[in-house]
Amino acid sequence: MEPAVRVQDVVTRFGAQVVHDGVGFTVPRGEVVALIGGSGSGKSVLLREIIGLLRPTSGRIELLGTSVWDCGVDELNALRRRFGMLFQDGALFSSLTVAQNVAVPFREHTTLAADVITPLVSSKIALVGLPPDAGAKTPAQLSGGMRKRAALARALALEPEILFLDEPTSGLDPVGAREFQRLLRVLADGLGLTVLAVTHDLDLLTSIVDRAVVLAAGKVIAEGPVDRVRAVDHPWLRSYFARSM
Amino acid sequence: MQTTAVAIHCQVEDATTVIRLTGTWRLRNLPDVIAALGGFTLPRAGEVVLDGGGLESIDTAAAFVLLERLAKLGCAAAAPATRHFSDKHARLVDLVRQRMCTPTALGSLHRGVLYRIGAASVALLGELRRAVSFMGLVTIELLRMLRRPALFRARETAAQFETVCIDAIPIVILVNFLIGIVVAYVLGMEAQRYGASLFVADGIALAMCRELSPILCSVLVAGRSGAAFTAEIGTMKVEEEVDAIATLGLSPVQVLVIPRLLALGLALPLLVLAGDIAGVAGGMLVGAAKLGIAPNVFLDRVHAALELRHFLVGPGKAPVFAMFIAMIACRLGLEVKGDARSVGRNTTSTVVQCIVWVFVLDAAFAVVFQRLDI
Repeated sequence: MEPAVRVQDVVTRFGAQVVHDGVGFTVPRGEVVALIGGSGSGKSVLLREIIGLLRPTSGRIELLGTSVWDCGVDELNALRRRFGMLFQDGALFSSLTVAQNVAVPFREHTTLAADVITPLVSSKIALVGLPPDAGAKTPAQLSGGMRKRAALARALALEPEILFLDEPTSGLDPVGAREFQRLLRVLADGLGLTVLAVTHDLDLLTSIVDRAVVLAAGKVIAEGPVDRVRAVDHPWLRSYFARSM
Repeated sequence: MQTTAVAIHCQVEDATTVIRLTGTWRLRNLPDVIAALGGFTLPRAGEVVLDGGGLESIDTAAAFVLLERLAKLGCAAAAPATRHFSDKHARLVDLVRQRMCTPTALGSLHRGVLYRIGAASVALLGELRRAVSFMGLVTIELLRMLRRPALFRARETAAQFETVCIDAIPIVILVNFLIGIVVAYVLGMEAQRYGASLFVADGIALAMCRELSPILCSVLVAGRSGAAFTAEIGTMKVEEEVDAIATLGLSPVQVLVIPRLLALGLALPLLVLAGDIAGVAGGMLVGAAKLGIAPNVFLDRVHAALELRHFLVGPGKAPVFAMFIAMIACRLGLEVKGDARSVGRNTTSTVVQCIVWVFVLDAAFAVVFQRLDI
């Protein structure tokens, strides 16, 4: 089976600034992979390119065997239904309740009747471990951790095959972050998801991640299981892992 | 990906009921799943076993619908044992039933008519209360500033004055000039029939200076600067900058509100004067081009008709309008909470409230001035 994500020779330039200088890696299906790198290493930019929001200067990006930047709009939108994206602060629609937010993908992309959608929505809300009364609240009434869970419920609504996460634990306290990590791992295993997380959270890396891809100076400097990445001799990686040694 | 037909069969083995699932149980053919489950009943009470041997694939939506249906048939979601499921499917089904035990409140933001009338009334009262209390707060801070002039933020006030007044002059002149032309034209056509076209000058001078210029300038300022105040302060509120100001030991009212209030209070009378001139100039143009009134004759008429009191009415009303606009705009900016939508809603509300208040105040002024013979 083709890998979930394949990035080949991606070059990104903003004017004279080179962000990616030939980046390439693959994410096999069913794995939880972290994309790490220092601030400004272009990991969020790369994520935006992978999910089809920003066109790289050159290079090829494949999701589930389809080239993101060579396919048409309809094909891209069909592809988008097969992955979910969790934005950094959730990006929930502030004019809707949590339940209505989760219902949006069902309303837009399925032909299910309202009385089928309603229980499905509540099952999604329960699935991400939100308390029963959360569905009726607006995003502004939720804490950061609950907002992330609600956004996760929306991202998982259409039973995606890949889940993209942008800094999944940022803005959460250590306890909340650890709970969220555990939830991600349980969901990834239970639902057979492929997960690609952009992060700089070392705790996340050592707890739930199978493989890591390390981005520095516009290149992939290491790729592989976390322990192998840890052993790579590179100044940035040395100082990154230093505090956990 | 292929979709194979969904089917559910039931057979009794010994004392247990075995439910055999076959086909693709996924969100995309959920209607088939629901149809298959619709006619399904449990033949008898007792132990239930789910057999996933013939299952192509299953996702959470289908698993949830299945377990929910079984629950309705009297078989608790946790109860059915599973067999012949692939590891992956078994984990998924387990996950779904662990989590689905808690029913979720759904809620909607949609309310009945009566509720909304009530909520609107309460909101209106709250709005009035907050407006009065904000006015009090600003007054206290203003008095504090008078006692300690060091609190006055000259640079911020000047910067606000520039955006509110200087930058607005072109549009104020344009709008008033055009209205001057329009009014002179309409007035002139009528007056000409009575051979009284010269009095267009009187009409233009009085109308522009007493009513049109103050109103037009206020509406422009409400739309331009009022909206900007609310959006600026509101965004700062969302970004917690207002809290940062308070944490630094400064008063948000001193830093954000008073400079805007003073700048607008000074700017609006000046804009009204600019509007007066532009409006009369517009009338003069029509007079010269269409009604045969030479510009110097037109200006003589304006001098004769426009007593000082008429002229002072506009700049006299303007600071009051300005105070209302600045107060409403700054208050609604500080009342923004939480999210981006709140900024938009309050900005809209600012423009509407400011414009309505300008007209209400203008009507009040008209009555008072008429009584006082001004």
